Amino acid sequence: MGDAVLTQFFSGFSLVAILIIAALGLAVIFGVAGVINMAHGEFIMVGAYVASVVQSGLGGNTFWSIPICFVAVGLLGLVVERTVIRGLYDRPLETLLATWGVSLILIVVIKMIFGTELHYVGSPEMLQGGFPAPGNLPFPWYRLFLILLSILLLIATFVLFFRTKFGLAVRAVRRNRSMSEAMGINTARVDMLIFAYGSGLAGVAGAVLAPIKTVSPTMGFPYAVDSFMVLVLGGVGNLMGVPVGAAIIGEGETILAFLFNSVIGKLLVFLLIVLVIRIVPRGIFGYQERTLGHRR
Amino acid sequence: MKINRRRFLKTAALTGTAAAFPYFYTQKFAKAEESDEIKVGILHSLSGTIAIIERSLHNAELMAIEEINAAGGVMGGKKLVPVVEDPQSVVRVFRQKAKKLLLQDKVVAVLGCYTSASRQSVLPEFENNNGILLYPTLYEAQECSYNCFYTGAVPNQQLDDFAPWVIDKFGPRHYLIGANYIYPKETNREWKALLDNFGGETVAEEYAPLGHTEFATNINKIASLQPDVVFSTLVGDQIVAFYKQFKQFGITAEDIPICTPITTEQEIKGMGPEYALGHYTSFNYFQSVDSPENADFVSRYKATYGEDEVTNAVMEAAYFQTYFLAQALDKTGSTDADALITEGLPGQEFQAPQGKVKIDEKNHHTYLWARIGQAREDGQFDIVWKSEDWIRPDPWVDLLYPDRDCDFTDPRVIERIKSGDRDRSGTIEI
Repeated sequence: MGDAVLTQFFSGFSLVAILIIAALGLAVIFGVAGVINMAHGEFIMVGAYVASVVQSGLGGNTFWSIPICFVAVGLLGLVVERTVIRGLYDRPLETLLATWGVSLILIVVIKMIFGTELHYVGSPEMLQGGFPAPGNLPFPWYRLFLILLSILLLIATFVLFFRTKFGLAVRAVRRNRSMSEAMGINTARVDMLIFAYGSGLAGVAGAVLAPIKTVSPTMGFPYAVDSFMVLVLGGVGNLMGVPVGAAIIGEGETILAFLFNSVIGKLLVFLLIVLVIRIVPRGIFGYQERTLGHRR
Repeated sequence: MKINRRRFLKTAALTGTAAAFPYFYTQKFAKAEESDEIKVGILHSLSGTIAIIERSLHNAELMAIEEINAAGGVMGGKKLVPVVEDPQSVVRVFRQKAKKLLLQDKVVAVLGCYTSASRQSVLPEFENNNGILLYPTLYEAQECSYNCFYTGAVPNQQLDDFAPWVIDKFGPRHYLIGANYIYPKETNREWKALLDNFGGETVAEEYAPLGHTEFATNINKIASLQPDVVFSTLVGDQIVAFYKQFKQFGITAEDIPICTPITTEQEIKGMGPEYALGHYTSFNYFQSVDSPENADFVSRYKATYGEDEVTNAVMEAAYFQTYFLAQALDKTGSTDADALITEGLPGQEFQAPQGKVKIDEKNHHTYLWARIGQAREDGQFDIVWKSEDWIRPDPWVDLLYPDRDCDFTDPRVIERIKSGDRDRSGTIEI
């Protein structure tokens, strides 16, 4: 029993990592540009398809598809931002509808190109199998890789936001858009690049999740739901909300699923989220961010 | 040219009439064509979430119709004409399209549906309008409608021989995992009854919400419970995710085999054969069935729809049910629904890719063969066991419903249906 709990704890980590990877792009876009990207799940899906092309067409593995998917889906995000989102800033309801439309279009286009059947993406040779971990199951290398990658992506995003000039501009825009504009920051360009960066992260998510899950045109939706949950719980506007939200949902779900079963586990986590947003409506970190902003 | 409202209305009315003309035209001349053409409805989703599998059924039925026509048609030279509708994976649209096929196109029968939900939504239309539905999917049974013929497997044809075989070969302790809806739950009910019967034991029974694809927890439980067998009734995307994660956590088919009545060549293609390697599926048909009819079927299907295509059990049923219909038309020599239902279709036999199959004379279900396949490196199955004879379908499984049966030759049922009763099921208490 003790062994099983230990294994459970470790596999919970990998779910947390998956949630971080899936939600980070959404958090970046929502936090900075204020756009609720309903097409986020489909961006992940496109990333997974690009990964399957990289594998079957170019013979590259996941390490190859990570940068390729980042660039490809990032460019897709750029195009969507320029053509669809651009005219809709400050109209949240319209962006919601417009990005939902984009998601439907992406699903249909992918179906037209690749057909509706499931696609196969393997994991890289060196990450197959597992290593003996405390507990009663070997821990898969690939899941360890996901955990490391999630940490890496978080660090990269933090560095981008807090250690670069562009990040300074991004944070300024997030705090006070009109003041930033007055200071000479090109906010439209910041929005555009952030949207592309967030989309690129979704592409990376697609690339690395494809080997453990399914690649099909409708695969994006569950990821979008999970990502929104993470955001709602962790709070928007602060990047720390993503790992914290993911940790609570991920570990909560795995532990509850172990104690009861998956159906009840999911139910209880949803209940927890409802409770949390009842007490702190802006999410765990969103609230603090807000008060700090007011005081300054 | 300035477009004002009047001009717009005029143009619109004109184009509308022009667009509708072919419809009026065919309506008017439909009678004349009736003499040498027989319309058959094809009702499978070509778009939406279940189009993945339904398109293959649609393809198999069109291929069968083409073959039948090429061989001289039915009823002495008449051609079968498919009327294709796309219900878009939406249950409500299934019903609308079924109604359209029955009332507007006046098709002789409809080949269609995949999910139980879609079948149950269209059945009232067939019962109210005395139409015929041929339904190719394996399903949870416990149903039999006067207006429906079921050509897929019912639980007794997939599970009755599978359970003792699995217990005998791997052991009695089974871990049950399934998707959280009716088919897996009913199948597990039957499986548990079989386990009781053959000295097996359920160590745990768990369900995952549809769309849930993270199985680390379940796999951990499996590792700590150490069952002899995992019996899976997961569906769709879940299958792929579960097999992949099972292997990634280091459990192989030699340690604990996954046994299932659901996973086909199609899902294995989606996950990559190395993940399914060594696991077992119970089905009536596999692409690797060794028969001249199957060799023909597979090569024709690939020639028509692409070399990469794989065939599966449900599309094989879709294929041979089209032949059932053609032979029934030949036998009765008329398109009258009651004649086809009471005389044409029951007892109809066909040398299908899986072997000789037959529609039961009494219960509208189909005699099928049982096979157990073990997945191999190329994504196909090695058939490790095959039933000695075809297996009679039992829509009310004896183990769970000993005093219930389905019999359309029972006088009580005949009387009830003749009297125009709304209840058109063949279920009786015995």
